[in-house]
Amino acid sequence: MRRRSIVLSALVSLLGFSLLSLAFVSWSEGQATQGEYKIGVLEPLTGPLAFEGKRHIDGYEVMRDLINAQGGVMGKKLVFVVGDATDPTAAASEANRLITREGVKIITGTYSSTLCGAASEAASRQNVIYWESSCVDPRFNKRGLKNVFRTEIDATGFGWYNIEFIAKHLAPRFNLAPNQIKVAFLAEDSSYGQGVTESARQRAKADFGMQEVALEYYAFASTNDFSPIIAKFKQLNPDVVHHIARGNDAVLFWRQSREQNFMFKALIHAGATGYGSIDFGKALGADGNGPFVLAEPSAGLRLEAFRPEARKLETDFSEAIKKRTGDEPLASHRLAGSGLWLLKVVLDQSKTDDLDKFRAAVLAIDMPVGSMLNGWGVKFGENGQNANERVQHYMLQWQNGKMNTVWPEEFTTLRAKWIPLGPWDQRK
Amino acid sequence: MTALPQLLISTVLLGGIYALIAVGLTLIFGIMRVVNFAHGEFLMLGMYLAFWSFTWWGVDPYFILVVAVPLFFAIGLGVYALVMRGVIHASHNVQIFTTVGLSTALQNVALVLWTGDFRFVRPWESSVVVRILGAAFNLSQVIAFAVALLFTLALFAFMKWTHAGRVMRATAQDGEAATLMGINTDRVYRLAFAIGIACVGVAGVLVSPLYSVYPTAGLQFVLLAYVVVVLGGLGDMVGALLGALIVAGVEVIGSYVFGSAWKEVIYFVLFIAVLVFRPAGLFGQRGAEALGV
Repeated sequence: MRRRSIVLSALVSLLGFSLLSLAFVSWSEGQATQGEYKIGVLEPLTGPLAFEGKRHIDGYEVMRDLINAQGGVMGKKLVFVVGDATDPTAAASEANRLITREGVKIITGTYSSTLCGAASEAASRQNVIYWESSCVDPRFNKRGLKNVFRTEIDATGFGWYNIEFIAKHLAPRFNLAPNQIKVAFLAEDSSYGQGVTESARQRAKADFGMQEVALEYYAFASTNDFSPIIAKFKQLNPDVVHHIARGNDAVLFWRQSREQNFMFKALIHAGATGYGSIDFGKALGADGNGPFVLAEPSAGLRLEAFRPEARKLETDFSEAIKKRTGDEPLASHRLAGSGLWLLKVVLDQSKTDDLDKFRAAVLAIDMPVGSMLNGWGVKFGENGQNANERVQHYMLQWQNGKMNTVWPEEFTTLRAKWIPLGPWDQRK
Repeated sequence: MTALPQLLISTVLLGGIYALIAVGLTLIFGIMRVVNFAHGEFLMLGMYLAFWSFTWWGVDPYFILVVAVPLFFAIGLGVYALVMRGVIHASHNVQIFTTVGLSTALQNVALVLWTGDFRFVRPWESSVVVRILGAAFNLSQVIAFAVALLFTLALFAFMKWTHAGRVMRATAQDGEAATLMGINTDRVYRLAFAIGIACVGVAGVLVSPLYSVYPTAGLQFVLLAYVVVVLGGLGDMVGALLGALIVAGVEVIGSYVFGSAWKEVIYFVLFIAVLVFRPAGLFGQRGAEALGV
């Protein structure tokens, strides 16, 4: 009898323990699910833009893990659902899928000026927040869409900075007044290339009276030979070549300029593609010494110029990227990381993804330069664009296979070289 | 005009590269009546072959040609047996969807295997600059041009003076009549496809020191190859070479005179004009397009 009751007690205890365990497991899982906040991430992961899209995904994922290590967003763990935005049509359809099937209320991405318009239109039709971290198409924030925000500078900002650098930093070293400088403008013909170039042209003429000696647009995907453009430019003898490139075109133009001994005093680019891509250094090594790239900071950055909270974020992010990729963060990583961090800041303040409250929180943020990753500040306009003057940008220069931060000089320990550029074989 | 020697030499060198890419396409189209939309992806595979051989074993891309010819010939045979044979007698729509599907599949296989990163092949000859009459160009360009010319002429000779070439031309002119004469047209199609793929594989190896290697690298050239094929006359080897020189001339001299933005306008207007007024191509016989000559 006693043995029976012991067995019975044991069985009841076992049953009870099992039920408790089951309940605990379900509670834990329920807590985890309730504790997640899901956003959509749209990037080109296949097709011709995938090489940069994948780097952006790396940046997003590293920052997501840092955010989750610090309590997530709105107290919840941040999770991603990812869509492949191969081209504008796919960008729109993937945005719709993320919204209707995955139920996201916020989409971030898409890096490319070719894609961000279509993706944000699709999000706008469903009243979902679209948070762009990289594309620079100047039309993006001029459509009156209240759900669309961009953390990165726009193309007009790129043009502004480039001309500022030429007028204030290069001209004195050339022993020329800004209005004596002859500029040849060359750009791939997408909204990115045209946007940057047109804003640079406008400022070069209006603010400094620089002499425009050439303007050439080309289709980057089908240009296999720059020799006619170089032959033309050689005759025009520009001091500065302002070249907005997209990919292989940067390597091709530089290599052919070297072969044809096309001499100019400086070449300026803006953005993470073309000369701004690590691929340029891989292709040319020390033969690629000299071009300037307006982008996010790289080697040489002085963290002391940042505010204390930004220093820690910068250090943590750089370390995490190095651990993941084995190298310094690239501009693509930084754009994605800083965009996502700023999204966390906004969500933590708005405590909701309700569009009106979210928008109010975005517009209320006011952070000076040096407050964020990359040394950025924050002040959004009514059009959803982070103010260009707060999105601090840096001039990097290719020096022996590395992009070094060389300007503004208060933000860097390294200095620009080869001003003006000497003979091709003496840039060592 | 001090730039003239540079423009002329650039035209000839670029034209040679376009010719080699187009010659395989025109062969496949001329004989099989299939527009191979995956042509650029075989070019890309040739570029990757050169890249990996150079990276892993330090083999100069030009030595890899010895491997590339039989390898891509075999790939052509394999793709014909697995994919093209089933659609060779299907409607053009089916053929187009099949080759576009093949193109997308190959691009994405490359993306999965080798990522979307740009890769570069830098053999010693790509750093050698040749200067003639004030024009400057890369030694790799000269080698690519010379080999391209050699291959195009060899293919022309093969088609003109060998029994297999005559059989292929007979099949191109009238497949049914060729069958009635006892020609195994399936074998002819297989041979044509394999030779076409071998040509574009060789072109991929040759251009690898000049351009970046990445999964969609073929798209950069293949659209131009279609224009070349139409200008030169469908299935016409020498026409392809001349068509390639015209396209390269428009690209180089047109860019210099009118600006780069106009070059595509110019050669696509030419492309449309040829299709409308001379559908057999600038160098084809009038009416040949209907016969398939």
